[in-house]
Parts: sequence; structure tokens; C-alpha cells
Amino acid sequence: MRGGAIKLGIAVIGINLLFAYIGLYFLPQSESHPPKELKIQEGVTSDELIQIGEQILFGKGQCMVCHPMKAEPGMRAPAIDTIGKHMTEEAKERNMKPEDYAFEALVNPGAYVEKGYDNIMPPVHKPPTSLSEGELIALTAFLQSKGGRVTVSYPASLEALRAQIARAEKGGK
Amino acid sequence: MAEGDVKKGILKGFIKLTIILAVGFAALYLLKGILPGPSQEGYRFFPLIGSRVWVWIIAQIHLNFAAFVLGVPIFAVAMEFLGWKRSDERLDRIAYDFTKLFTLAYTLTAIMGAILMVSLPILYPKFIDHMLKILGPTWWVYILVMYGEVFVCYYYFYSWHKMKDRKGTHVAMGVLLNIMGTLLLLITSSWVGYMTTPGGVSPSGELISRWHAIKTYMWIPLSLHRLVANVVFGAGIAAAYAAYRFITAKTEDEKAYYDWMGYTSAMIAIGFSLILPGIGYLLGIEIYAFNEQMGIQLMGGFFAWLWVMQAILIGAILFCINYYLWISLNKMPGGERYFKYVKFLFIVVLLGYMIWLTPHSVALSLEEARRIGAYHPALGNLGVMAAKNTAVIISYLATFLSYAIFRMSNKEPVVPWAKTGRTIRAAIIIISSIVVLILGVYSYMVPASVRVKVLSPIQFGVFFLSIIGLFVLDNKMYKGAKILGEPRWGKMPERSQYALIGITVTFTWLMGMMGYMRSGGRQYWHVYGILKDTSPDAYLPAHGIAAVIVTILTLIFFALIAFVFWSIMKLERVVQERRQEV
Repeated sequence: MRGGAIKLGIAVIGINLLFAYIGLYFLPQSESHPPKELKIQEGVTSDELIQIGEQILFGKGQCMVCHPMKAEPGMRAPAIDTIGKHMTEEAKERNMKPEDYAFEALVNPGAYVEKGYDNIMPPVHKPPTSLSEGELIALTAFLQSKGGRVTVSYPASLEALRAQIARAEKGGK
Repeated sequence: MAEGDVKKGILKGFIKLTIILAVGFAALYLLKGILPGPSQEGYRFFPLIGSRVWVWIIAQIHLNFAAFVLGVPIFAVAMEFLGWKRSDERLDRIAYDFTKLFTLAYTLTAIMGAILMVSLPILYPKFIDHMLKILGPTWWVYILVMYGEVFVCYYYFYSWHKMKDRKGTHVAMGVLLNIMGTLLLLITSSWVGYMTTPGGVSPSGELISRWHAIKTYMWIPLSLHRLVANVVFGAGIAAAYAAYRFITAKTEDEKAYYDWMGYTSAMIAIGFSLILPGIGYLLGIEIYAFNEQMGIQLMGGFFAWLWVMQAILIGAILFCINYYLWISLNKMPGGERYFKYVKFLFIVVLLGYMIWLTPHSVALSLEEARRIGAYHPALGNLGVMAAKNTAVIISYLATFLSYAIFRMSNKEPVVPWAKTGRTIRAAIIIISSIVVLILGVYSYMVPASVRVKVLSPIQFGVFFLSIIGLFVLDNKMYKGAKILGEPRWGKMPERSQYALIGITVTFTWLMGMMGYMRSGGRQYWHVYGILKDTSPDAYLPAHGIAAVIVTILTLIFFALIAFVFWSIMKLERVVQERRQEV
């Protein structure tokens, strides 16, 4: 009787250890840390802004959760590698400045949803993403650099950004 | 615990709960006085293992026990009802055995809950202050319902034999017990729902509407998912208990009874587990509706590889249950007629398993996959939902067939349309498999939204229709069938019981891992988007570390459950000795 119970105990321990072993040695090991706050100072160059923007795209912005790098069938959101060109054309069509169009897309994404996509983009200046003003400008610079002309700079573009945030708060479309 | 005075039993339950709560509150008060104040960020730190790991282990063990004591009463009452209506003593005995299990487990559930009640405000005071500000009143309702639950539970258990002539009233008590349990589940799910998909508060975390903070996106689907999972888990533990009793049994009668109990419990677990993917789907839809990014992160972001682990675990469960059913054919007179089908079922389940655990990408995460920009040329096609859903459904269908074969293996239909019935049965199996396969292949050619919203639900629908069809058909066809011999309960090799233990341990481990994933979906937020986690633990650990922690807590849980099993056996011995003395 006791032997049976001991054998069962060994089976329970063995199965558990097997799963721990699979978790430790068969699955990739990496931690997921909260994004670091990126400091953007006055006078930052356009290239530096683009570089910071790329870090935000892959990190704090979590953009890659929905946006693919290259166009693929059934994608949830526009592909990144041609998004700058795409945004310039759309801004022209809507008679907007390219930076206004880009800022609107980030802080007031529901204002204009491109045909073929669902309205799933969250306003990224709000929690949980909570990008700061500098980070929003850097991200815009990176997005514009993907096939378009970079028209934003820090801190000169702050006014245009704040205008779009104010519009979003009022529920402007 | 032994049968005795009902009033005394209830009083004992009340005293136990009150002492546990009083000790908890006293410990909370004392520790707050003794320990240094929280850090500026609002945290205290648990020595050596850290606050997160401590709370993780305690919360999950408490949750396991809670799942057990809330899940088992559901089918215990159902068994008691059936036993009463069919005048079946054996069903009444199994229902009573289930009741013994959960009544004894209540105390351990309450103790683990009290440890959690002390740990959270001590280690995470800022978070608990916020939770109390938003959902405080629900906590007091929770305590009230808990007292109600203890009253009904102890009454239900202690009055079992005394009320054998008033079964209707006793069954009604059992139903009331389940209503209480469901209320507790709804309250606790509202807390988790608020943490993950908060509502009813301003962006700065000020309360706007308490009802909306309770009635979040996740509340009802999470409650439903937990309710069904509790039944699966509770039945799994009952199967493990039966396996333990079978292996340690001294007489043939005992072996026969516990073999039957193990089989019944395992079938309840697997039967209810068929509903889980559907409710999980509903839960997923609500998470996506709350925040698309959270949904994608959970399904394909950092946690992508844990879904492969989930496939490994559920596949292992399916293998164990199929193996158990195939071995069980040996105890059925006439079962040998079906041995020839086992190898085909084995191949189907194995192929399904292999497809299910093929990863979509060898990259660590979705971000990494997107950086690489491509998936594996061959495996990539098998690692997508179109293939996996199809493989899972076919595997489940094969498992159902194993069950159907076992049920019918000692019978021979005598209805005049038996031949036609067999043809219809084969047609249902073949046609449903082909339809599921065609839909799976077609899923590759449509946009994701069509696959998710239309084709996958149709695949699951076809599966459910076919098993309902088979169940109804078999019941009609085998009505009044010629019995080739009664099942030889107890005539099972010991290894079959290890399959039952395998199911239960794997399911417990799976619960631990899925609980971690659900909680990890909030990433570095205590309350998603409202209250940030600024503690040193505000990150998701490597999968290996998570697996080790889940292993540790599962082992602790099984050590405690073994204690419950041992206590029941000891009490049975005491009762038997007393009876002999009398």
C-alpha cells in the first residue's frame, strides 16, 4: 500500500520536472521589460530623431504588435516599410500638412481610418502606451523616413502636435 | 469530519473560518506595526524569493483549491440527484465521496486565502488601497457569502445520512451550495476582470461607477471559463483520488469501486473540457474588444511560445485519456472486437498532436518574427491557426470515438435498423472529418477576420454537431441492447491509474501556466492602463523561470492534496473502528 503511494508521488514529481525541463531547455529564454523613458533634448538632429523613433517602434510603442514590416496578406494595419510615402499621399489627398496627418494618426487615430482596416489603433499618447511629446515626434520622424520626407523636428513641431492632441480631446474628427 | 451532529458540524465550520480570518487580520495588524513602512513607490519586499514570486505561489495554490471546492459540488449534486432518481446506491456513494473531498479541502482553501489576504496589503499596499477604493464593498460581500457557503457546505455534508429520506431537500441544499459558490466566483472574477480590462474609473484611477468597475469586458466570460474549468479540474482531482485509492486498495471490492470512480471522474473532466475552447474563444473576443493590442500580445507576442507549451500539455492530456480508454477495453467483455481500431486512433491523435505543437516561427516573439520578416517555408504553414484548429478538432473527435467505442464495447444492438445505424455512424464520422478538413484548407485562402469569425466557429460547430449526433444515435441504437457481460471493474492494470494521475497533474500545471499568462497580459501594470507596476518585479520573467515557478507551486499543491487524501483515509479508519466498537 505504501509502495503504491510512493510510486504515485514519484510519478507526480517526475511529470512536474519534465514540464519544468521543457520550459527551461526547449523554449526560448528572454525577459520582457517595461520600456525605458527616452530622453529627447532640444537641438536633436533629424537622424537622431529617426534612430530614437525606430527604438520606440520596436519597444515602448508596441507598433509591431499590429503593423508588419513588409506588406503581407490579411495584415491588420499598414506595413511600415512604405508608410512614409503612404502618409504623404494620404495627407495630400486630405489637404493636410504631412506632420498634421501623422500626428493625427497617432493621437486621434479614429478620426480617419483608411479603407480596408478596422478602427483598432489606440491613441498612443494615452495609457497604456503613454508616449511623451518628444517620443511622438521621434516616432513620426521615423515613420516619415520610410519612403517619405521628414518634416518634423524637436521642439519646433510641438505646437502642431499639441494642436492635434487638443483636437483629439475635444473629440474632433 | 466524521458523521455526527449537524449543528456541531456547522458550528465547527464557523469557528474554523472565524479563527482563520481573525488570525489573518491580527497578523496583518501586527506585521504592519512591526515591519518598516513601504518604499516611496508603495512596496515592501519579501525576503529571498521576492514579493512577486511569493504572491504568485500563494495566489495560484489558493486558486487551485478554490477551483476544486467550487467545481466538485457541481457534479457531486448532479450525481446525488441521479442516484436519488434512479435509486442507485453507488451513485449516492460516489456523490458522498466527492462531498467528503471538497468539505475537507475547504479549510486548506481558507488558510491559503488568509495568507494571501495578509500578503497583498503588506507587500503591495498601494495596489490594495486602489483596489479597496474601487471595489472595497465587494470584499465585504465576499466574506458574507463565504460564511453562507460554509454554513450550507457543512450542513450538506453532515446531514447526508440523516436526510436520506428527504433527498429532495438535501439535493436542494446542494444546489444552494452551488449558487453560493458561483456568487463567490463572480465576485473574485470581477476583481481580476477589473485589473485586466478596467472600466468605471477615470484615466487617473478615480471611481466613476462601481457597477461598471465590476461589469468589465472580462467579467462574465472569465467567470464562465472558470466555472467550467473548475468542474474539469475538480473532476481531475477526484480521478487522482480514485487512482490513489485504487493503487492502495486492499480488497477487490475497493478496487472495483475506485476503478469506477476514476473512470466516472475522468469522463466528467474530459466531457466538460470539450466546452473550454469555445468559452476561451469568447474570453479572447472580449479581450480583443477591450484592447486589440492586449489581445495580440497575449496570443502572439511575448507569450507565443507558451501557446506551444499549452499544445504540449493539452496534447499530453488527450494522449493520457485515449490511452486510459484503450486499456479499459480489456475489462469489457467484447472489448477485444475493437482492438483493431486503436492503432488508427493512435495515428490520428499523434498526427494531430504533431501539427498542434508546430510553432509558427522559430523566432522568440512576434516582434522578432516581424524583424526577420519570414516564417519557416514548410513548418510555417502548419504552425498557423488554420492547421492547428483543424488538428485539434480531429484529435478531439478521435478521443470522442475512443470513448464511444469503450461505452459500446460490451453491447450488441438488437434494433432492426442496427446495420443502417452503423452506416450512419460511419457517415457522420467521415463526413464531419472531411468538412473540418476542407474548412481548414479553405481557411488559408481567406482574410484572418473571416477565418476567426466565420470558419473556425463553423469547424467547432461541425464537431459539436457530430458528437451530439453520435451520442444520440448510439443511445437509440443500443437501447435494450444485448449485454455481452458486465464491465469487470477493478480489472485494470496499475499503469492505467498513472494515466489518470498524468491527466490531473498536467491539467494543474496547465492551469498554473494559463493563470500566469492571463496575469502577464497586463505586462507592467497592476491595473492595465490605470495603475502602473513600478516595483523591481515589473517585468515578465523568462519562460524557463515561469515554468520552474509553476512546477514548484504545482508540487506544493499536490503535497497538500495528498494530505487531504491521507486525512480522508485516516478518518474513514477512525469511523470504521468506532462502528466496530459499537
